[in-house]
Amino acid sequence: MPQFDLVANTQLLVSGLAIGSIYALVALGFVLIYNAVGVVNFAQGEFVMFPSYVAATFLLPAVTVFGAVVHWQLPLVAVYLLVIVVMVGFGLLFNRIAYYPLRDRGWLPVVISTIGVSIFLRNAAQLVWGSQPLVIPGLFPVDTVTVGPLHIRPQDLAIIGVTSLLIAFQYVLFERTTLGKQMRATAQDRATARLIGVRVGRIVAITFVYSALLGTISGLLVAPLFTVTKEMGALIALKAFAASIVGGFGSIPGAIVGGLAIGVVETFGGFYISSAYTDAIAFVILIAVLLVKPSGLFGERVAEKA
Amino acid sequence: MKLDRKNFLAATGAAATTAVVGFPAIVGAAAEPILLGSIPPITGSNALLGQQQHQGIALAVEEINARPGKVYDDRPFTIVEEDATNDNQSAVAALNKLLGENVVAIVCPVLSTQIQAMAPVMKTHEIPWMTGGTAVKNMQLGVPGAFRLRASDAITAAGMTNFAVKDLKGKKIAILHASDAFGVGGADQVVENLKKANLTPVVNLQYPKDAKDYTAEILKVKQAGADVLIMYIQNPSDTAIILKQIKSLGLGIPIVGSPSLANQTAMETAGKDANGAYAAVDFIVGFNSNVATHFLTAFYRKYHQLPDVGTGSGWVYDAVYMLADTYKKQKSSDPKQTIASLRGIKNWNGVLGTFSADGEGNMIHSVSIGQIEDSKLHLVKKVNG
Repeated sequence: MPQFDLVANTQLLVSGLAIGSIYALVALGFVLIYNAVGVVNFAQGEFVMFPSYVAATFLLPAVTVFGAVVHWQLPLVAVYLLVIVVMVGFGLLFNRIAYYPLRDRGWLPVVISTIGVSIFLRNAAQLVWGSQPLVIPGLFPVDTVTVGPLHIRPQDLAIIGVTSLLIAFQYVLFERTTLGKQMRATAQDRATARLIGVRVGRIVAITFVYSALLGTISGLLVAPLFTVTKEMGALIALKAFAASIVGGFGSIPGAIVGGLAIGVVETFGGFYISSAYTDAIAFVILIAVLLVKPSGLFGERVAEKA
Repeated sequence: MKLDRKNFLAATGAAATTAVVGFPAIVGAAAEPILLGSIPPITGSNALLGQQQHQGIALAVEEINARPGKVYDDRPFTIVEEDATNDNQSAVAALNKLLGENVVAIVCPVLSTQIQAMAPVMKTHEIPWMTGGTAVKNMQLGVPGAFRLRASDAITAAGMTNFAVKDLKGKKIAILHASDAFGVGGADQVVENLKKANLTPVVNLQYPKDAKDYTAEILKVKQAGADVLIMYIQNPSDTAIILKQIKSLGLGIPIVGSPSLANQTAMETAGKDANGAYAAVDFIVGFNSNVATHFLTAFYRKYHQLPDVGTGSGWVYDAVYMLADTYKKQKSSDPKQTIASLRGIKNWNGVLGTFSADGEGNMIHSVSIGQIEDSKLHLVKKVNG
């Protein structure tokens, strides 16, 4: 086992919190949609991948789209705004195509529908953008900041910072605004929410859009580190799904804590135990938590919820 | 001419005779195509390698079919392609489907893990298997007709290790490798070669498939005080991300990588973060032969991008041309006859260099060490196996 090293541990912590933040954001997307419509959205990883490709298309000097090379190279802020607009439309379309027509057919057809969309989007990405990985620039002009022996990626700090801000924003949204209260009411009991005048269909659509935007932010933050590929969202989504179960499926604080915990533990585990078992560590945590507390860290027992 | 009954019957009879006699001649004009199988990983996380394989084969077939006489006797190549995707089961399923199409030879996926999974089926069919997977074990699976058009990891790993120890004066060697057959087999070869130099790796790290964050691995290499890092990785995207993270975490030691480190996509994706890294490649670096020069220019003209010579497009281009030359020489595409001819290949010039078959079916017996600068590989030295 490697010896204790303060510098290495600091770098591991920053890296673990950064990747954990991404898991947390994607896990939040899972939880919000689950709470709103009672199904797991298996296309959540593609909510990370698709906006990253859109961003790459408009950011990079040359990108091959449908076999033709395009040269947009728009400014970063303009591209971020454009991607957000595209993903608002994407969220609405996803709701309209993958969920809305099946909303009265039970949970299984909707889950199958999200799996279908996931496969479709991954294959579509390959057809549109090809197999070449794309590298988009991060928020900072330098890749590393060196402080003595410590090498920190500013993008890691940006991921942690943006995630913290989003969590704060979400708290204000859910606790202090009418829209947030309507979203919470819809999540708790759709029928009752409808009875008290909440336009449930609209709130569900807004939830899909919000979830798509969480994926968008994750993608834009993580793509400069991991490159843009059609598979980029799949593993993140798998870990995020595990994180949301560890935290207690349906629990917003649980998704955040679960995401951060898996990110930090797998990074430290890779260093102190073995890097070969990084993925296994996340799932060992999952099984251990479920054995001790089957409802997850922040999950309510069914009897309590009822 | 007056069209009475007699003339009508005569004309009809003549037309019918012409049709009966002439029809086989017309059919004969379109010579029967030679069906060549190919199983690239077109989808999944190795789709990039699959795309490069597809492009290399398509270019070779296009050129051969455009030349006078095509392959031989005006017979063109027709490619029958099945997707190996990203897993072994799909590769085996694709292979079984392809075997039902009466192909006379198959260009296998470049991934050693898929070749090893396909081996039990390959053993039962005596046709030429043109492979590019470099794991040593691939040629020891008892598959009749298996040929490897790239250097075995035994040669590559020996070249990498010797370069790390003798040229870079490495005393504390770290190894980072993928968890697939290629990565594990290659790392084992490096360990064996280090033993010959009385060294053991200070760390030998395996990362899981599709990992994206390598902080733990890089920090372990750093903490172990390694003076050279040897990387055995197939996936160009993984390679590029690792190179970027190595740079950002300040691991300032020389890197010696397996051929995919010099994959064109890996070099371009890593950009400046790949500068200074060394790679062992099983082809002649640069425009060093007429065949390589023609391939590089023709590929760029067709696809508007530089090819990946080693792991991607080059070896399959060679495979198709080698088969075409063999069929032309023997005036037949008979699989058994072709296997016998390929076993006798000596000093055949291709994109990757000079090919000569040994008893196991290995055809390339040397590697070059190159250094990356601005997404280009510059020759440092040649190493013979």
